[in-house]
Amino acid sequence: MPKPLGVAAVAGAALLVRRAMRRRIQASPLWPMPALERPVSGQPRSRALRLLVAGHETVADGVVQLRLEGRDLPRWEPGAHLDLVLPSGLVRQYSLCGDPEDTSSYTVATRLVEDGRGGSREVHEQVWEGMELEVRGPRNRFPLVDAPAHVFVAGGIGITPVLPMLRALGDGAEWRLLYCGRTRASMPFLEEIEKLGKGGGRVTVVAEDESGLPDLDGQLADIPEDAAVYCCGPEELMAAVAERVPRVRLERFAPRLSADGNSAFEVELRRSGRTLTVPADSTVLAAVRAELPDTAYSCAQGFCGTCQQRVLEGEVDHRDELLTDAERADSMLICVSRARSDRLVLDM
Amino acid sequence: MSNTPLKARNVSFSWEDTPLHWVPGDPFTTHTINVLHLLLPAGERWFVHVYKQVLPYIRDERLREDVIGFIGQEAMHSQAHDEVLPHLREQGLDPTPYTAQVDWLFEKLLGDRTLPPGRARKWWLLERVAIIAAIEHYTAFLGNWVLNAEELDRRGADPTMLDLLRWHGAEEVEHRSVAFDLFTHLDGDYRRRARTWATAFGALVFLWQRGARFFMANDPTLVDGKASFKEFYLRGRRGTLPATGDMLRSIPRYLSRAYHPSQEGSTQQALAYLASSPAATAAEKRAA
Repeated sequence: MPKPLGVAAVAGAALLVRRAMRRRIQASPLWPMPALERPVSGQPRSRALRLLVAGHETVADGVVQLRLEGRDLPRWEPGAHLDLVLPSGLVRQYSLCGDPEDTSSYTVATRLVEDGRGGSREVHEQVWEGMELEVRGPRNRFPLVDAPAHVFVAGGIGITPVLPMLRALGDGAEWRLLYCGRTRASMPFLEEIEKLGKGGGRVTVVAEDESGLPDLDGQLADIPEDAAVYCCGPEELMAAVAERVPRVRLERFAPRLSADGNSAFEVELRRSGRTLTVPADSTVLAAVRAELPDTAYSCAQGFCGTCQQRVLEGEVDHRDELLTDAERADSMLICVSRARSDRLVLDM
Repeated sequence: MSNTPLKARNVSFSWEDTPLHWVPGDPFTTHTINVLHLLLPAGERWFVHVYKQVLPYIRDERLREDVIGFIGQEAMHSQAHDEVLPHLREQGLDPTPYTAQVDWLFEKLLGDRTLPPGRARKWWLLERVAIIAAIEHYTAFLGNWVLNAEELDRRGADPTMLDLLRWHGAEEVEHRSVAFDLFTHLDGDYRRRARTWATAFGALVFLWQRGARFFMANDPTLVDGKASFKEFYLRGRRGTLPATGDMLRSIPRYLSRAYHPSQEGSTQQALAYLASSPAATAAEKRAA
C-alpha cells in the first residue's frame, strides 16, 4: 500500500466520520461511550503524609511521646497504628494514643529499646520538634470489638493502643485492665489510666519492683465466656496470655524476632502446587522467581506495585508504600513484604 | 537498546500549591496538557497489565531486563498522574465522568477477554503489544517536546507540574526503544505495525480532543469554554503545545521501514534532566 495514499485515506475517513457525527459531538463533550461503573483512576491511595513534629516530650522513663501536626488528617478508631518513616528510611509502627476525633494532630509514644532494631533509638535521638516526618496510615489491626465485657492486658509501652480504647469505652461499659511494667516511673499514662479506672477498681497496676511478676493465672481465671480479651506488650507476656486464653487478640509490632528482625517462613504457591522457604536474608520475590522465573516485578522496593499477588492464607507483614487497606486485606507486594505468621499461601 | 539499566524512580509530588490554570492565563494549554492525567493512569496501568503477560515470551535476557524496568517506570507514571485527579476535583473540576470511560476503554475493550481463548487471544496479545509500541512513539515524541518546551517556563508555568511532565517525558525518552524492540522481538510484522499505528493514532486524537473539550466545557472558571483545532494550531506555533507540523512529520517516520525509536530524541538530554529534576533526585535520595 503506498504510504501517502493510505494516510490520506485514513485522514479522509476521519473527517467524514467527524462530519457525520458533528451534531452528536457538539451536543456534549462526553458524547456517549460506555463507562466503568466504579472508575479505578483518581481513587485516593493510602498516601504518605508529611507531618510536622510539634511535640517531643518524655512522658515516662525511657518513653518519648511525639505529637505530629497536619491538616485534615484521616480519623482513626481506637487500636489503630501509624507507620512512621524515620529519617534513615526505617519504617516502624506505633499505636496512636491521642484523641481519634482530632484531625489536626496524631500522638504516638515509643519506648527506647536498647538492643532493638534501631527504630526507637532513632525516634529518641534523631527526631526533634520542628522537623517533618513521613507518615502512612492510620490502619487498625487491633480493633475494639463489640462484646458485653472487655479484658485488657498491657505490658509497658503496650498500653498505647489500649488507652484510646479505654477512653472510648468510658464509664458505662464493663471492662478491666491489667497493666504491668518494670517500675511505676517507666509506665506511661499511669495517672490517666488510674483515673479512668476510678469508681470500679477495674484497673490493676503491677510494677515488678514493688510486687514482682503479675499473677496471670489469678487475673485471667474468672474471665466471662463472652468477654473480649486484648493483649499488647512484650513477646513473653503475649505468649503467656495466649497460653491461658487462646482467643486473646494480640497486637504485635515486631515480627517474631531473629537477629536482624527478619525470620524465615514458608510460602505455598497454591495454583502451581509448590511450597518454598523464604530465608531470613531473602525475599518472597527471590524465592518465587527461582521457581517461576516469569513472575512479574520491577522496582523490587515496594513502590511500583508490579509484583502484587493475592494472599489466600496467612498474616502479612506489609512493608510496601503503595497498597491501600482494602488491597492489603487480600494481597501483598512480594518484593518487600514478609510474613507475620509462619506460613503464607499465595494464589500463584 | 540502552546501555544504562532502566529502573523505576520512586517520585512523589505535592499539588497543594498548583493553581487550576497552571499555565497562567492560558486555560486551553493547561487543559490540553491536563488530558494526560485522564488518559495515563488507565493507559499505563494497561501497559503494565499487558507486559506482565508478555514476559514469558521474551527470549532475550537484556530485553527482559529492559521490559522489567519499563514496567516499573510506567507503573510510577500511572500513579503520579493519578494523584493529580483528586487535586482537580478539589478545584471544582471533577474528571470522573471522563476517566470512567477511559477506564472502560482500557480495562474492558482492550482487556484480556475481548477475544476468545486460544489463537485469537494470542493474536490479541500481539496486537496490543504493537499498539503499545505505536503509542510509545507518541509518548517519546511528547516527552522530547516537553523537555524542550522552554516557552512554558517563559510563561511561568507551575514548576511542580512542569517537573511531573518533564520527569515523565524524560523517562519516556529514556525507555523509548523498549516497546518497539519488544514488538520486533515478538512479531515485527510490518502490516501489523501500520494497522496498529492507525488504531493508536486515531484513538489518541479522538480521546485527546474529547478530553480537552470536556475540561474546557466543565472548567468552573470559564464561561462557555471551548476547545478548537485552531487554538491548538496557534499554540503549537507559539510553542506552548506541540506544533501541528511536527506531529504530522512524525507519522511517516513511524511508518518508515527503517524506523527505530533510538533516532528520536536524545537519551543524554533525558538523563541530564533526570539528574536535576527535583522529584527524581528526591527519589534517588529515598532509595539510597
